[in-house]
Amino acid sequence: MNRHGRLVMALGLLSGAAATPSTAQGVLDRLRQAANIARTLLPISTDKEVEIGRGIAATIAGRFPVSSDAALTRYVNLVGLTVASQSPRPDITYRFAVLETPTVNAYAAPGGYIFITKGALGLIENEAELAGVLAHEVGHVNQRHVINQIRKSDTMREVRNQLDIKGSTLDKVVGTGSNALFMGLSRGDELEGDSLGILYAAAAGYDPGGLASFVARLDRHAGEGPVSEFFATHPKPDERVGRLHAIAQREDLRSSVTLAERYRESVH
Amino acid sequence: MRRGAVIGRALLLVAASAAVAAGEARAQRAQWTDVVYVPGQWSGGRVVAQADSIAMVMRIDYFSAPPKWRAEIRRSSDGRTLGEPVILIGQGRRAVVVTALGSTPLEQHALARDPLVTAAVVFDQSGRRAGPASGRITERSADGRVGRIVFRRVIRNPSFDNKLLDPGNRAAGRTLLASGIAAVGDQRSASVVATAGARGVDRVQTPQGSVPVTPDTAAVSRMERFAVGAVALEEFLRAGGLGPYAPAHSDSGGKPQ
Repeated sequence: MNRHGRLVMALGLLSGAAATPSTAQGVLDRLRQAANIARTLLPISTDKEVEIGRGIAATIAGRFPVSSDAALTRYVNLVGLTVASQSPRPDITYRFAVLETPTVNAYAAPGGYIFITKGALGLIENEAELAGVLAHEVGHVNQRHVINQIRKSDTMREVRNQLDIKGSTLDKVVGTGSNALFMGLSRGDELEGDSLGILYAAAAGYDPGGLASFVARLDRHAGEGPVSEFFATHPKPDERVGRLHAIAQREDLRSSVTLAERYRESVH
Repeated sequence: MRRGAVIGRALLLVAASAAVAAGEARAQRAQWTDVVYVPGQWSGGRVVAQADSIAMVMRIDYFSAPPKWRAEIRRSSDGRTLGEPVILIGQGRRAVVVTALGSTPLEQHALARDPLVTAAVVFDQSGRRAGPASGRITERSADGRVGRIVFRRVIRNPSFDNKLLDPGNRAAGRTLLASGIAAVGDQRSASVVATAGARGVDRVQTPQGSVPVTPDTAAVSRMERFAVGAVALEEFLRAGGLGPYAPAHSDSGGKPQ
């Protein structure tokens, strides 16, 4: 729903609350619902998105150290920029880094700060799979999934405009966004990340099956410690794999470029 | 039929027509990138003849909403980096060179004598792109020799601001639309980076419970300084046979005009 649609809905709910006050609780519920919708209307500029994203990126880098391997970082950036160049958001500069942890996961902070763990790189078998994972994260940034989670949060209750997001309020917003990332985005956001990720990776020229083959491999490692966080924060692999195959078929995505050898030379 | 019903139907018809027109306008919008090569090899700041070799000389990012269009042109003078962008804004085949200070018609500008720049005007009178949507385009001279090779890739679902296709817009000469290359982004986001002020949090929630963290802003600064240039990215794509560099990609031949 666009911004005007949400505004109309919020006003409608408010007027409904005033016109049919069946119970006091009903009125309160409607007012709360209207306030929640109104909060999602708060515009957040790209500059503010990057400022918030920078704080979340610092928190991610605080949980897991960022790799200082320049050759590996360069390779991950090249693959990431290849898929990000298919992104329709010209206002974002994408940056990619590797986290030194055996945990298998990837994170996308607002504003284009994207991380992938050494654990994930260890399970990935070729460049098309890496492209699929990074493209999924680019999809999260493009759709502002974390920013939208922040907008819906209680942290934003006292924020009247984006200029209020500074100092301790900025810290709270960063905390909310970081928690959203580590606890997992909604199922809908993850599936949307998949839908966009497969399109970006395929448009860049990679085998569109990359993301699906990686997710399917993770399923075979279910129950292992490093993968547990991934399973706790993402939809079930079989559902994701099924949807990804359906998208590839529907969109007639065809390429067989996997670049397994270049991946092995660059990562292992 | 009651008068109210007639008015209602008319309004519905107008709304439907407006929606169709808006949809068509969106459908006509296009964004693509041309990477231009010439035969030869970079040596000492110029391209010298070299058999079986091509040298990247230019990257052009196009944004089009016919009849208007915009081209951000970045030339290379060493084969390793791209220079500051030249911005052309056009309507049909007419173009102006736009800077932060103002605009000058291309035909009155020194760039009009640069064949690589004039060749960047790949539009017909109606502002529609001439030539294929994507792939490899080889342009040959009258004697059959290869003049330029253009690798064109299209961007899905463009979301640029149409105001930046207007040469009268004050921001048009200062704002860059091209994305995906760190060299461009570093210039654009410097002010944001300088003012970033989150102190961060000392604990975060994870599926394993609350864990302590010490935000590492220095690591993020290193991330921001880590630049991968546009030329390096093109070499990476070319080496991997990705996008328009795929070996099976069709070569349309001819001149894309």
